[in-house]
Order: sequence, then structure tokens, then C-alpha cells
Amino acid sequence: MSSMKTRSEFGELNLEQASCGSSCGCASASTGDAAAASEDRPVGAKYWRSLEEYADTPEFREFMHREFPAGASELLDSGDRRHFLRIMGASMALAGVGLAGGCRRWPEETIVPYARRPEGRMPGVPVQYATSMELGGVAQGLLATSYDGRPIKIEGNPLHPMNRGGTDAIAQASVLDLYDPDRSRSPRHNGAAATRAEFLAWLQSRMAGVTGRGLGLSVLCEATNSPTVVRLRRELKARYPELRWHEYEPLNNDNEHNGSVLAFGAPYRTLYSFDRTAGGVIVSLDSDFLMTHPAMVQHTREFAQGRRAMDANRTMNRLYVCEGAHTVTGANADVRYAMRSADIGIVAGRILHHILGTAPFQGFYEASLPTPPGASNDWIEKIVADLQANRGRSIVIAGPRQPAEVHMLVHLINNILGNDAMDDSPIRYLPMPEQVPHVESLRGLARDIDSGQVQTLFIIGGNPAYNAPADLNFAQSLQTLRNRGGAAVHLSGYVDETSELCEWHVNRAHYLEAWGDGRAWDGTVCLAQPLIEPLFDGLSAIELLAEIAGRSATGHELVQRTFADLGGRAGEVEWRQALHDGVKEVEQPEFDRPRFRRDAIPAVALTVRERYTPAKADEMELVFIQDTAIYDGRFANNGWLQELPDVMSKVTWDNALLINPATGKRLGMKTGDMATVTAGGRSMDVPVLLLPGQHEGSASLALGYGRRVDWRIATGAGFDSYQLRTTESMGFAPARVSKSRGSYILALTQDHYAIDPGIAGVGGRGAQRRLPTLFREATREKYIADPKFAKHPEGLHVPHRLSLWEEKLPFHREGKVGAEAGNTQYAWAMSIDLTACTGCQACVVACQAENNIPVVGKDQVRRSREMHWLRVDRYFRTDDMNRPDAEARPDAVSFAPIPCMHCENAPCEQVCPVAATVHDKDGLNVMVYNRCIGTRYCSNNCPYKVRRFNYFDYFRRKPFREREWLHVDAEYYTTPQAHADPMLQMQFNPEVTIRSRGVMEKCTFCIQRITRGRIKAKNDWMKLTDEQKRTSDRVPVKDGEILPACAQACPAQAIVFGDLLDPDSRVSKMHAHERTYEMLEELNTKPRTRYMGKLRNPPSA
Amino acid sequence: MGRYHFVFPPWTNMVLPAALILGAIAPLYVIFIVAYGFSPITTAVGYQPTQPIPFSHDLHVGQLGMDCRYCHTTVEHSRFASIPPTETCMGCHTQIRKESPALVPLWDSYNHGTPIEWIRVHNLPDHAYFDHAAHVNRGVSCVECHGRIDRMVVVAQHAPLSMGWCLDCHRNPQPSLRDPSKVTDLAWDFDGIPDRATYQNRLHDLNRIQPPQDCSACHR
Repeated sequence: MSSMKTRSEFGELNLEQASCGSSCGCASASTGDAAAASEDRPVGAKYWRSLEEYADTPEFREFMHREFPAGASELLDSGDRRHFLRIMGASMALAGVGLAGGCRRWPEETIVPYARRPEGRMPGVPVQYATSMELGGVAQGLLATSYDGRPIKIEGNPLHPMNRGGTDAIAQASVLDLYDPDRSRSPRHNGAAATRAEFLAWLQSRMAGVTGRGLGLSVLCEATNSPTVVRLRRELKARYPELRWHEYEPLNNDNEHNGSVLAFGAPYRTLYSFDRTAGGVIVSLDSDFLMTHPAMVQHTREFAQGRRAMDANRTMNRLYVCEGAHTVTGANADVRYAMRSADIGIVAGRILHHILGTAPFQGFYEASLPTPPGASNDWIEKIVADLQANRGRSIVIAGPRQPAEVHMLVHLINNILGNDAMDDSPIRYLPMPEQVPHVESLRGLARDIDSGQVQTLFIIGGNPAYNAPADLNFAQSLQTLRNRGGAAVHLSGYVDETSELCEWHVNRAHYLEAWGDGRAWDGTVCLAQPLIEPLFDGLSAIELLAEIAGRSATGHELVQRTFADLGGRAGEVEWRQALHDGVKEVEQPEFDRPRFRRDAIPAVALTVRERYTPAKADEMELVFIQDTAIYDGRFANNGWLQELPDVMSKVTWDNALLINPATGKRLGMKTGDMATVTAGGRSMDVPVLLLPGQHEGSASLALGYGRRVDWRIATGAGFDSYQLRTTESMGFAPARVSKSRGSYILALTQDHYAIDPGIAGVGGRGAQRRLPTLFREATREKYIADPKFAKHPEGLHVPHRLSLWEEKLPFHREGKVGAEAGNTQYAWAMSIDLTACTGCQACVVACQAENNIPVVGKDQVRRSREMHWLRVDRYFRTDDMNRPDAEARPDAVSFAPIPCMHCENAPCEQVCPVAATVHDKDGLNVMVYNRCIGTRYCSNNCPYKVRRFNYFDYFRRKPFREREWLHVDAEYYTTPQAHADPMLQMQFNPEVTIRSRGVMEKCTFCIQRITRGRIKAKNDWMKLTDEQKRTSDRVPVKDGEILPACAQACPAQAIVFGDLLDPDSRVSKMHAHERTYEMLEELNTKPRTRYMGKLRNPPSA
Repeated sequence: MGRYHFVFPPWTNMVLPAALILGAIAPLYVIFIVAYGFSPITTAVGYQPTQPIPFSHDLHVGQLGMDCRYCHTTVEHSRFASIPPTETCMGCHTQIRKESPALVPLWDSYNHGTPIEWIRVHNLPDHAYFDHAAHVNRGVSCVECHGRIDRMVVVAQHAPLSMGWCLDCHRNPQPSLRDPSKVTDLAWDFDGIPDRATYQNRLHDLNRIQPPQDCSACHR
């Protein structure tokens, strides 16, 4: 490396150096460092998205160079002339149709007003109603937006104590299920369509035949805390004392429940208030509390709040994570220790040993717990020291996979540390009703069926034939019941695996169609009200239960009666207020401070120790993880969720066995190879995906895929991991993994839309020079020492803007507004706090729902044609490139949501030949669909890669899975599909254009919401007096009035949107913040979306 | 192999005259297409379909003096100036002219709860998002776009509703402004206003009327 070259390559930088000097105080040496770093593998931190990028293979360079994967920009495989002609023929025919119909001005349209317009209904004005969605027995408070009578969008309820306006991806996507064309449309009797009346008549005669005390009646219900269900259950039990009530949920809380019984002698739910750990410590023992937890929204909000370091002391909490899978929580950890899930119990015991120093935990040091990779020998001591320094403001949390005994030990840790001592402690306990653990409950039912004690079985929700533990073989039990002449009734939204085995399937109303109620994680009663009449006359769970009890009633009556029972004072006013608010009343739930059962400690400690099995050389641990998108599989037919990349692995449309790259090397497998997994005598084949950071001894596999159904989305998606899950191994199991034959195509988005790799060629080095500037982070210590770290990232000097020509500054920079500034009245901008973002992707689905973004299908995702306007980039960071296991064990994982930056100096606008992308006065980079001719130059020139090209009219096509890599199914392209599915069409947001094919599209900052807010502000302005109007020379929009879909959904409140012309707006303050930086600022794009550098808080070395 | 002569076939003699004729016709064709494109036939000015009920704005608004907002209630609050529900008509017509044969469809709708299917006269393309509330509240009268509806026995389209026509006003809004209280007074001709330009300029400045001329104003 010669210094000559360095100087010539970076000659121009020196010029700019002179201009920056005083303003940012960058060390002048940094230029040299950057140049040195560019020559070879960088010495400092390295960021990478995928293993391909890490290795910088020729294939990866080619991939980056092409922008789209090979074949993505070609319509058909070359040489297939017949296909080409067919397509030409088809398009000619379509053109002819267009011409014949196109000679008129436009078709005659009719306006169809109401005969009787409902009170308060205003066509064209969306209305929000509070409702709630229950999932796994926990209700979320939501606001559903109804547009002319159709629910089209879900938001979090700001009044709800758990949601506070935020949501998760599942709640956002749940509205799509309402319009799923595969929904069950009628009851079915032995597979044949029947009517609701027929079912009710059958039910009546069946119940009439039930003898006095209800012998032979069983109910299998999904987990629910709905007060109405509880009341009806009580009524049923009163009427039929012999009725057996079972509950089963594949993702259940058995271990938490049993753990609290061990600890306190009674079931309690543990509530964590992460905002009360300010400056304290959080230790997660295999708990993914930031992603796959029922209270994820609350956790994320409070956790993020504790990390912004906005106060004078730069207070931050610290998160230690010990885990078997690589979860989102692990990615957000300050210190992450990868280990087997089976090792966690020993870790808990050792922590207790250090805190207590007494007998029962001495033995935990005899267990041969290996030191996690990358940890020092005294790693547990360090955690304990940190915990003890933060007594009363720390949280230790165990995950649902861990056995009850570990939960008990964790309760003990928190108890000793005083984390639950006060009313305002971070940990509080909510008394829960007694319950039989779900696995035991289902086992009991299976036993009852097999011994012939069940004549009539009502299955309320759930899908046990698919997701029951494999060793119970519940499908066989259902068959047995049938063979013995017993009847099973399954209430379900879909005709699924269980419905097929039941005599009756009853179509269930979606939660947006039905009355209901539930309890939030903290016990708050939430009401659910229908926004639309049931599309297919479905029954809700409470209506069916009422029918079983022989007291036919509407959902409205049932819920209102429960409400009256609950409150004591439940007049019409209170009822209406509760319906309006969606929560009964926002009050502190009744927490308890249970006494710890110290006498149970020695036995529990012994159990944990005895059950521990050290890792064996030929054995791995199989960890069953909850999918970050489709939950337990019940959302498998939801296109938005299937296409949502998994947060960690970025795989869409499938699940895969996640193993460490080093494990892959050992087993001779790479991503996409098929592996045979054997656990407990059962085995299955599943493709492998190498995930850096996964523990080498463990492999994780998401549940909920491989549905045995024939639906438009779920069919063919992934592999059924329930077939390996047994009652003994609900969380994790010892398993053998070996290479199998063949390979499988996985649609990964991790390298798609990668930000322009930089000046020095493609891939590898160029990207490496730039990546540290894309994602800027610092430890808290470094932040205190250098508050402006984000302005000048380490080892790199960002050349300051110096244009070759005189630039027309946006007016707001000159402080001009209104008429004198050419009508500029607002300067819209966004700020994304990378410290707060946990990567949960609620924003991605919210954007998709709001902006009519189509689902493209696995085949198209493979071709990098996913249409998400907002993506969440995931980077691995490696600090020391010379470490041998650097690739297998990255030092950190980071997430960055990337929407359109709305550059003031937008590169896309400069290359559009037809001015289809232009700026508006308020600073938005506007995409004009009707002008676009589809050259894609803009996408090519966009350094952030946020533009999406609509290759097909996806909204009117069925998503298509691949046959084989790059095989093109001509039918997909040639079959004319004139209309969108009328069901799915109903979800479309009428405020947003449905884009046709051949048109570029991208994030608009939710222009429809901006317009609505602006018009409202201007109309309100007219009500002011002349005097008031003279106080401002423009019409201001109140800060926070306009929220883009992503900002509204974000549970961490990481996304802030507003007007830069208002100096007091939150976004103005964020943009002025010392942590704020512009991504790729050296390109002088002047992005309106800016990022706030990520902070981490590892302990000082 | 014999000698090969390339000889133009006889029909090629026709190429030149054909090109000349086409060349002569082309400008006429262009003129025709452009004229057609901007003619009222295309922009549909004067489009006057027959409605299911011969409702006369001339009678109801012009002669009886009903306010526009009596029926189009949402015009100040919504993008749409909604067509009234049957019930609104029946507020009077259960008493007045009950027997009129013209009202048979109205009674049908009222008795059966089925909607009346009116034929849309003012039709914007689907990718243009016009907002009535934004205009009406800020002093742009109905008459600016819809013309003297109060004199129409059968509603016809008054203005071309083309993008250029929208922009004409967005570029120079003053002449279309009036006090919001006068918005639905279609016959009002600035009576009692000494100087119309001063009056309109004052409204323009005070109410910060700065109509956007960007694509994003109407297209999303």
C-alpha cells in the first residue's frame, strides 16, 4: 500500500477537511485510517448482513452488481420461445380488450347512497372503534379503523395500559384474516356444507339427549381469560356438573404457572415493568420478552424508554441474555451468552449460589457447565455483581421454554434481590385462577376419549389435531371418538386439520365481526365490539357456548351481562364509555405480594441439578421457537405475515432449522441443504439455515409451518415441527441432526435491497468502507466521552457536503415560509432512533396494511421483488476480524428500519426521464404513478435502495410458490386475472392508489395521512378570529397530529414524524440531537429521514 | 448458380406517393386528435345523463331556496359531498306530492331499504383525490366547479374537471374566493362588495390560502 495512492484516491477529502475543521472537530488522522482500512480487510469493527457478504464470494459480488438476482429482471428463461409467444399473444388479446372497451369516455358509474344512513356515518370519513384481540389468552387493546363500514386497519389503543398506541406485527396483520378468501364460509357436517340452522337443530337434539349431570360432555377450549367465557363456563358447570373442561394452547404458560405454584403455592402471573429498571440490570434466561411474549408491546416500549439516555446522567439499563436460540431479545442484548437451553437452569442456580452462598446451590458448581463462547471464566460472577449493585431495580426473567423449577429459582433470585419488594418495584405478581397445565389437560382429554368417557366434544378454537404434542397423537384420539359414535364439534375460522376429523365444523366469526371481551396481560378487562356484520354468518366462541348451555343469546347481550356482573355499577353510561374506551377502566390491577415458600427450595434445586445433562458430542439440542410472524401456525394463511421476513433469519414463506455456521461446517451443510432431525424417536427432514450467533450445540426450529391444508397462502409453507414436539419436550429436546439428501429453496431477503455498496467497486470492501457509516453505534461510556460520536463514526471521516454547483436550498433552511418561500408551509421529516428500535417489524406490516402493498409470493421474493416499502435491515457486527470464530459468533446484531429518506437532493429525481419522481413544496419526494414509464433508473440511482418496482399486478394474482429455482410458471404470467379477489379488495385503503404493474413505488411518508392532517388544520384555522390568524404567517399543524403508519405502530416509539418548520416539534428536536446522523451523508442527499445512533451499555471491561 | 439481380418489385413505386399522402394527412390527424382530446366530448362538459328520478335542483334550490347542505350534509366534513339517503327526501315527500309517479322509485327505496342508483355526473379519475371539505370550508363556492346548479332542471357537468383546469385555480386562487358563509349561495354576485379584488385578496391573505400545485396535492 503506497501513500501515493492513498493521497490520490482521497485527495479531494483534504479539501473538505479544511472546511469542516471547527464545526465537527474530526481528528484529521481519520482520513488516513479510512484509506488504510479500505485497502484490506478492515481492522476495526465490520458489519455484515449475510455469510455470503462476510466471505465476499464472487457470487455475492455478482449479486450486488446486478441489483436484482439473476433472472429477476428477465421475464422468461432465454430460449423458451413458445412461452414468449404465449405471453405476447395473451398481452395482445388483453390490449384488444382494452381498446374495445376504451373508446368511451369512461364507464358510467352509479352513486349508491344509503336508504337510511346510520347515525353519525359520514361517507369518506374513516372512524375508529376500540376493540380487542385475544391471542393465547391475553387481549391486546386495539383501535380498528372502519372506512365506509369496512374495517381496514388496526392500531394500538392509546388508552390501553399495555398497548398505549403501539401494536405488534400480528395485530397489524389480523385484519387481513377477516377478508381471507379461504375462510370457512359455513358450518360443515361430515365434510359437507351445512347451514347454521341445521347445526343448531343438531346441537339442540344432541344436548336434549344428555343425561342429567352431563356425563360424556367435554369441552376443549383454547386459552382464554375472557370474563364472558369464564362466566359461561361456570354456568355450564352448574348445569352439567360432570362436564369436563380442558384447555390447550401449543404456546402455553404451563411452566410459568407451575413455577409460581412451586414458589408461592398459588398461580401468579409475573408482570415486569422495564421502565422501573432505570439504570438497572435485566437478565433474560432464555426469555424472548421483546418479541414472542404476550406483553411484547409493553415490554418493548418500556425497555426502549430505559435506553434512550436522554437525561443528564445518560441513564441506560443493561440487558444480559443467556439463550439457546438466537432471538430478537438476544440481538438487543448488551451482553449475550449463547448456550443450550438445557444449561439455563444451572446458570440460575449459580447466580443463586453467588447471591446466597448457602448449601442448596453449592452443588451447581459440580455441574459441568461449559463457559459460553466468548465469555470470561467469571462471567456469572460479573452478572451477579451487576445484579447486586442494582438491588430493587433489576429484573431476572425466565422464558416459557424453561421448566417450572427454573422459573421457581428465578422467582427466588428476584425475591432475594428485592425486585418485587415494593409497590413500585419492577416486578409485581398478579393472582391468576387455578388451572390444570395445558399439556396435562390435553393428556386427560385424550385419556378420556380413549377410555370411552367422551360422547360429545366441543373444541372451541385451537387446532389440536395439528399442534398437539406428537406423543399424544390427538388426531388418532379424534378418530377414535368418531369410530365409537361420539361427536366432535370444532369451532374454527378455517376448515383445518382438526375440522376434517370432527363431525361438525362451525365457522367462527373473526374478532372484528363479533362481540367479545378479554383480559390484558395486566388483568385489565378489554371489550371487543364488531365493526361489521359476520361476513359468513359465523358464530363467536361465547355465542356457541351460550348455545351449548341452551341459553341462546347474542354476543352483545352476553358481553353486556358479564360487564354488569363485573362492575357492580354498570349502567348504560358506563357500558358506552367502556365500549368507547375499549377498556373497562384504567386502574391499577390488584397485585399481590405473595410469600415465598422457602421450604421448597432445596428440593427444587436438587431437581434442576439432577435433571441437567451435559452436552454430548454426537447430540444437539433442538429448540422449538415461536415464529416471529405466524405465531403458533394460526396465521399461516396470512400473506402479510408469511411474507414478513423472520426478524433474525430473514427467511420468508418457510421455516428452517437454524444452526451455527460452525455447526454447518462440522456437519457439512450449508443454507438450503436438507437435514434430518431426530428427536425422541421421531424424525423429519427440514432445510438448514446458517445463522451466526446461534449456539453451536443447539438448533432452533420455528413452530407453525407445514400445515396440511389446501389454502392459497399456507399450502406448502415450511415444515411441521410439531411432529417432533412431545409432552416431555415442549421447549427443547435432545436431537440428532444429520445431513440428508437434496436441497430446498429458501426465500431469504437478507441481501435484497442492500444499500449501495460504495465507491470502490461492488460488494466486500466498498460496502465495508461504508457500512460503519450506515450504522453508527457506541457504548454508553464512549457516548459520555464523545457525545457527538454519531456525527463522525470511528475510523472514518465523512466528507462534508461540498457541491460542485450552487444549490437551491429548501426554503425552510433559510427560515422562510409561506408565500415568500414559494408556498412552502411545512417541512416534513422523520427521525428513527436506532437505540429504541428492537427490530420487531410491526412497522413493516403497518406500512403494508396502510398503503395497499401487495403480497408477491415466495417465487417473486426469490427474485428480490418483495414490495415492502419499509424494510428492517439486520447487520451482524464483528469487532475483531482476525478471531477464528468471527463469522460464527458476531459481537452484536443491529437493526435499522429503512424507509424512503425523502432526500432534499434526491438522486432518483435527477435520473427520471419523465419527471415521475419530483419534490413537492413541503419536502416530500413524490412518486407520480401516472407519469412513470418503468425505466427503473430511479431505483438504480437510489443509494438507499428503497424503491420498489411493481413487476406484476400482484394485487390481483394469487401468491405463487416456486416449483424449482428460476423455473417460470407461464400460467402465472399469462392467465388474465382481471380483478382482485373481491374479499381481499375490501381491505384496500381507499385513500391510497392501487398501483398497477410497470410502475415504481415507494414510501410516501403516508401522504394520505399528511393530507388529512393538513386539511384538518386548515379547516380548523378558518374558525379562528382574525386576530388569532395574524399571529402566524402559515397554518401550523399540531405536532403529533400526523402519524405515518409505521410511527403509529412502533411499540418502541422509535419513529418520530413531524414538521421541521416548527422548532418545538419533536422531530425538530430529534434532528438537532447530538446522536442524530444522516445515512450516507457524504453523498450530499440531505435526507429528511435521519437516524439516531445506537447506544449499547456493556459493562466496562 | 445463375446471376442474381436485385430488382425492386413494381409495388415499390407506390411507396413514395403513399408516404407523401400520409405525410399530408398526418398534421390533420394530429390536429384532429388534439382537438378531440380537449373538446367537451372528451372532457364531458355538458354530460347530462338521465337520472332514475327526475330530481330538479332548479325547483328545490332555485325556487324553494333550500341550502345545498340540507341534502349534501357531509360536504364540510368529508372528501365526498354525499348524496342524501332516501330518508332525507322523505322528510318532506311523505307529505308533499306523495302520489307523484316520478317518486315511485323513491317510495320503493324507502319501503324496501334498497338504495337509489344515481348516475354519477362529476367523475374524477380514481388516482385524483379531491376533497370537498378542503375547498368549501375555505371559501371556494360550489358554483366554481358545479356552475349554477340552482338553475339546472337536470344536472349537467359545468366544468371540464381536467387537471389543467384545476391548476388554473390553484395557481391563481383569488378570483374564486368568497366568504365561507356565502359558499352555498350560488346566485350571490358579490352584492354589497365595493371592490371585489380587495375583498378577495384580503380573504386570500388572512386565511393563508396557498393551494398546493404539487403532484402530491391530489395524487397519492
